[in-house]
Formats: sequence, C-alpha cells, structure tokens
Amino acid sequence: MNMKSKEDGKWRGLLLRSAPTFTGEADLPYGFITGTLARLRAEKRQQEELDRIGWRALLASLAALAIAVTVTLSVNFKDRGGDLEPGVRSLVQMENIQVS
Amino acid sequence: MEEPIDIAGCLQRWKEGDEVAAEELIRHLFPVISKIVRTHLPRRDEEKDLVQEILMKTFSRLHQYKGDAPITHWVSRLALTTCLDRLRAQKIRPELRRADLTPEESEVFDAAWLTGSSPDAGEAIAARDLADKILSALSPEDRSLILMVDLEGRSLREISETTGWSVSKIKMRLFRVRPQLRQMIHKLEERK
Repeated sequence: MNMKSKEDGKWRGLLLRSAPTFTGEADLPYGFITGTLARLRAEKRQQEELDRIGWRALLASLAALAIAVTVTLSVNFKDRGGDLEPGVRSLVQMENIQVS
Repeated sequence: MEEPIDIAGCLQRWKEGDEVAAEELIRHLFPVISKIVRTHLPRRDEEKDLVQEILMKTFSRLHQYKGDAPITHWVSRLALTTCLDRLRAQKIRPELRRADLTPEESEVFDAAWLTGSSPDAGEAIAARDLADKILSALSPEDRSLILMVDLEGRSLREISETTGWSVSKIKMRLFRVRPQLRQMIHKLEERK
C-alpha cells in the first residue's frame, strides 16, 4: 500500500469513528422556540422603532431645511444691495443714491 | 421541489405578525441548520447560540428568498457562510504534533485503521476532537470542503450549489488541500 492511500485510509477511518458526533439534532432543545421567538419579537420591535425614529429624523431635517430656505430668502429679499462693502453702503445711504 | 410545509403561506403569515407561522418555520429549518453547524464548527463551539443566530439572519433576510429553490437550500448556504465567518475569526493552528494529542486522541489515532468495531461515545468524541485539531490547520473553506466530500460524500455539483463556488474552483481547492492533509497525518504517524 503506498503512502497516499495509507494516509487517506487513516483519515477516513478517523472520520468514520467520529461520525456519531456530526449528527445534527432532530429535536429542538428545551426552550429553544420560546427563546428564538422572544429574540425575533425584540428584533422586530427594534426595527419598527428604528423605522419610526428614521421617519421622525427625516421629517425634522425637511422642516429645518424649509426654515433655513425661508430665512435665507427673506433676508436676501430685505437686504438688496447686501453685496456692497459696508463703507460703500453707508455712502449710498448718505447720498440717497439709487442702486438697482 | 415539494416542501413539507407551505413555505409561501408561512412567510405571508409571519409578515402579518403570526408567531405560529414563525414557529413552523423554525421547526422546519432547525434540523438542517443544526446539522450544518455541527459538521462545520469544532465540537466545543457554542452550537445552540449559533443556530439561533442563523435563524435570526434567516428571518431578517426572508424577503430575499425568491422561492425558486427549496428554502432549505437557501438556508443551508446562509448557515454555511455564517459558519465560515465564525471559523475565520478563529486562529489557524500552524502545525499539529503528536505531543499535542491527548492520550485518548493518540489511542484513537492508532486505532483509526480498525473499521470493524463501532466506536463507543468516548472514542467518537476523541476521534472528533482529533479530527477538529487536524482540520484547524486548514483554511475555513478547505476545512468545510473536506468535510463535505469525505464525511458527507457530496458531489462537486452539490457543493457548488451550496457554496456558490464553481466546480473548477472546488477541484482546484481539493487538489491543493489533499496533500496538506496527508502530510499532517504522515507527521502524526511519524512521531509515534
């Protein structure tokens, strides 16, 4: 018998001897269903909570964005000529020059 | 393929919050997952927790199941991937020496030739521990491949379906890992 088949035979013999330890459980361990269902319930609750928080966060960011846009536009509207330097702006006001 | 339980019905009922449906699915999938975990993970690993973790993954990804293959095939792949991830987190032992074996493992190694007698529980556990030690020197993928071929007697096509690896990749892996395994057995034999 050559080395190759000798070692293969030994390995297969070892696996054969250990075979009973590889058999899967057919019956559920005590309390397994209850434990798994409890974890499933907890995960589902957590997911729902995350979804709710996610929606709230989205709505809050949209509201903040809307407020920011409104404030920017209203300031822009009021402050026409706001792109002038402060010194130039006061001169314009003093001399009452029309700036389009 | 015909499923022993109404999978589509169970999934629908579970989506609607029916826990009885979840229980039916757990009962149906448990033996499949348990077998994979027991085969691919070393004996002392926490089996029950891992089976539960795989079931959690299964339920959270049920929406991805298309129903074109039996659910047990889909779950088997998920279970194997989870086992491989777990194995990757463990340290690979570089080399196994005869001195590393317990007296029981040493005895079972010498008796591995004797196939006539069926082993008692103690021998089976010692043989399994020794097999785990030998396999721990291989990469997680090689370890699982060797067990699917040598222990479960699965064909290359079946392995390909479960792992998603191509047949040529499987052949290549086997070609590479077989001498490695032989060398380890040879070294254990040599240092008697």
